[in-house]
Amino acid sequence: MTRFILSRLALLVPTLLGVLVVTFLLLYVAPGDPVQSMVGERADAETLARLRAELRLDDPLYRQFGHYVGGVLRGDLGTSYITRRPIVDDLLERFPATLRLAGAAMLFAAVLGISVGIYGAWRPGSWIDRAATFAAYLGVSFPVYWVGLILILVFAVHLRWLPPSGSANPVYLILPAITLGMRSVAFLSRMTRAAMQEVLQSDFIRTARAKGLSQTRVVLSHGFRNALLPVVTVLGLDFGSYLTGSILTETIFSWPGVGRYVLTAIDKRDLPAIQGSILFLSLVFVMVNLLTDLLYARVDPRVAYD
Amino acid sequence: MHRILLATTLVLSACNDQGGDGTLNYYFTYDPRSLDPALSTDVPTGEVVSLLFDNLTQFDPDAQLKPGLARSWETDAAGLTYTFHLRQDATFHDGRSIKAEDVRASFLRALAPGTTGGRSWPLYPIKGARAYSAGQTKNVQGMVVRDDSTLALTLEEPLNVFPKLLAMPVAAVVPTPTPSDFDQRPTGSGPWRFVSWSHDDAIMLARNESYWGGAPRADSLRIRIIPEPLTQAAEYESGQLSVVEVPVGETRRWEQNHADELQRRPGLKDLYVAINTTRGPLKDVRVRRALNHAVDVRTLLATVMADRGVVSAGSVPPGILGHDSTRAPFGYDPARAKQLLSEAGHPNGFSLKLWRTQRAELARLAQSIQQNLAEIGIRAEIVERDASSARAAVRNGEADLFLTDWWADYPDPENFNYPLFHSRNKGPGGNYAFLSDAPLDSMILRARATTDEAEKGRLSRDIDARVFELAPWIFLWFPVDVWASRPDVRGWRFPLVFTGQRWMEAERIQ
Repeated sequence: MTRFILSRLALLVPTLLGVLVVTFLLLYVAPGDPVQSMVGERADAETLARLRAELRLDDPLYRQFGHYVGGVLRGDLGTSYITRRPIVDDLLERFPATLRLAGAAMLFAAVLGISVGIYGAWRPGSWIDRAATFAAYLGVSFPVYWVGLILILVFAVHLRWLPPSGSANPVYLILPAITLGMRSVAFLSRMTRAAMQEVLQSDFIRTARAKGLSQTRVVLSHGFRNALLPVVTVLGLDFGSYLTGSILTETIFSWPGVGRYVLTAIDKRDLPAIQGSILFLSLVFVMVNLLTDLLYARVDPRVAYD
Repeated sequence: MHRILLATTLVLSACNDQGGDGTLNYYFTYDPRSLDPALSTDVPTGEVVSLLFDNLTQFDPDAQLKPGLARSWETDAAGLTYTFHLRQDATFHDGRSIKAEDVRASFLRALAPGTTGGRSWPLYPIKGARAYSAGQTKNVQGMVVRDDSTLALTLEEPLNVFPKLLAMPVAAVVPTPTPSDFDQRPTGSGPWRFVSWSHDDAIMLARNESYWGGAPRADSLRIRIIPEPLTQAAEYESGQLSVVEVPVGETRRWEQNHADELQRRPGLKDLYVAINTTRGPLKDVRVRRALNHAVDVRTLLATVMADRGVVSAGSVPPGILGHDSTRAPFGYDPARAKQLLSEAGHPNGFSLKLWRTQRAELARLAQSIQQNLAEIGIRAEIVERDASSARAAVRNGEADLFLTDWWADYPDPENFNYPLFHSRNKGPGGNYAFLSDAPLDSMILRARATTDEAEKGRLSRDIDARVFELAPWIFLWFPVDVWASRPDVRGWRFPLVFTGQRWMEAERIQ
């Protein structure tokens, strides 16, 4: 296991280097002028030229890249052109909020999606199962943006049960977590249902029933544990993408996370902030994938990495 | 079941945090880049700087220039040297008195070459400021402290708008030397003191009890960062925001549901299509006039913008010196447009590219303009880019047409005429039409320099008339702002310039 972890961590280096090179080149060729975004309207040519020189934007590509990589190797992702703060500070300040939202969305998705999936496999064709199937189709079909606004309209504006947006206390998590987790509920419920149905047809389930175990014990202890592997895969992938790509949800609910930071950075052509964010988020995604792989071994003893 | 619902509602309602009766709740669409005046290039930074700091001069909500730290000022006969007399009762939030030397030090700090990426052009008119900013000199010779309460500023050339430039955020006075975290936790002197800033979330301010202009009425001001306009509206409707700008698409509904809460007035803004006067057929003024006759501005305004605008016949909006309300707009006249195109040698029209940014309301507008142009044979391809890319292309002169807007920083015809039409400002300076007209340039410079207000008014009217004649834009309209303030909020009006509302009179009533 240790060897597996070490080899995966070693793979991080070429992965992140690849991300760094591709991001750097893409941003180099992308249109837009970071210096114009910094100084706003009515800037004169001399000021623009001076800033370009200060930011090394006139240097040849290889020198700019070398300078950037040198900083990254020292753990310095650079300074934002716009806020003039170290990018690492900006990201670390916002990441806990993103983590809270992703965690809440996953919890919501896992509890609801798995429960509905198990029930559907246990009582296929029941009204709950059919309703869940229908809801799952809706869940994957509705755009996040639309769902978020509808939830705000219903629960914040009309019923006034919940705040529309913000992050002042845990109550503020409810609507964005539902919005973000909704697609996972749909996927997870269908995935769990299919996996459970397959497992429940197995010989060992028949044996468990023949032993006289209660239906609950058969389904949860014997059935669900064996159906868990694909569910863990979906959970891991979704959690990774929530941590790295909840821009829309964060925007609709004014959630102060990394997604909005990236969006602002792109909008302002804040090149170091975009590069730093993408590198940071790539690291997060790879680490979540690694943890998911490690979870496989816990869930299914047949999976061994040594 | 009902009890459970009621209990849930009570618990959740208790969690809705408005910050108490003494707190007013405002919002920005995005996080300020900094709270340091020297870095104020964006609207949120400028707004919050105007709350935390003081300038020599300042604007009220109606964009009238008022004394700030300077209780009065005068200029010499040539309009070259301005002498400012500072009030003696002003202090920073740490209790230190504000003296003329603080003003000078603040200006030097904002101009310093190391202050990367600021917006120091409002201070450039001071003699030697530009050279100092470029690192060529060690001092700004045009700034002289006469005594603790007198500061003389000598300009490179006469500029009558100079006192208005000093109300810009970059000219705010700061307590120097500033600590390293000044951009995050500033000490100012304005009507509000800094309390906290949670990035992308909220800024909390408390009233300055010892403010020289009297303390604000409310205890505190919370500024939330809410990027999505529909969420802003929902926050307002659920009572979480004290004021909100009504989203364009929601105007009709709000006019019905919130009629008593609405405030409506033309802002100091232009919405227009810049015509690049150096490209192909667009060099010909007859073609540019044809474009103006081709677009059905009144219908667009009603259908796309819910009538939130005043059709324009020039660039200077109502309420600004030089605006001429008697001049008739070009008017929708496709036949006249076709005739003009024929006279210019393009009876079968031609192709061009219409650039726009990704703002939602501009999408429908661009499509309608495209359709109008097609009716006279002009095939317009819409090029949609994010704001940064679109502006970069336009500033480089790569766009034929660019659908955009202009917001005044300060209420003066100069803020329209000089950046938008003087040949010095082609491209990055704001003249997206790349207009270069010697008589116009000369009038603009004279209007900037004169010390005679009547002559400035006459010249400004002539400039606007000349601009209209040259048709460097498709003139659309002066946008009308529509804001709402909650029934329990009193004493707040939305400002005509972004630094004009300092929340002094606003309060929540029971």
